[in-house]
Amino acid sequence: MVEIESFFIDNEEIKLEAEFFQSSSDQTSAVLVCHPHPQIN
Amino acid sequence: MEFGGNMRNNVVSAVFNIFMSNDISCLRFNFRAVGRSTGSHSSGRGELSDAKACIDFLITNKQVEKIFICGYSYGAAIGCSTVSHTERIIGYASISFPWDFMGAKYKKLSQTDKPKLFIQGDRDDIANFNKFQDHFEFYNNPKAFKIIEGADHFYWGYDTQAADEVFKFYQSII
Repeated sequence: MVEIESFFIDNEEIKLEAEFFQSSSDQTSAVLVCHPHPQIN
Repeated sequence: MEFGGNMRNNVVSAVFNIFMSNDISCLRFNFRAVGRSTGSHSSGRGELSDAKACIDFLITNKQVEKIFICGYSYGAAIGCSTVSHTERIIGYASISFPWDFMGAKYKKLSQTDKPKLFIQGDRDDIANFNKFQDHFEFYNNPKAFKIIEGADHFYWGYDTQAADEVFKFYQSII
């Protein structure tokens, strides 16, 4: 069963919607994925 | 399936899913003013701050020691430009970096001696394939590129292939 956490990350006064998958075997490494422009893609 | 430039974009989802299926921690997020994120779009400056806030979150809240960045299009320009934010960033993968759209600032900010991969579709006329090699030459080693034959800027039908290249590169440097 894969669990994805959904939460908000605070950036000063802004809240960023986020999803995080936590590895069960390696908690020291992670990948951050950045999405394309909302008005182009 | 959702369309558009958000964290559920087809390319972003393909990358997120391949790391998740290989049991590697992965964070995706919506930039300010996208989805349920608050704030206003700021054409890059604020979004750069958003990406750095996510990196700081991984370090502070998840105790992550090694962070690999993957960005697609606008997200490549922003995400890869955080590469010097902390030594914990080990490198990045850029998918269709829109150098000519974004201007010199992001090209300069994404310069680094850390490992980096540039993925490019040979039918991409937004992140223009014809100018790819010139932009690629700008970057310091170590660097690599992968041309996805047949892919345009949107990678429909090629998103899994692009994600697979990102994953293979990550495995090679971790």
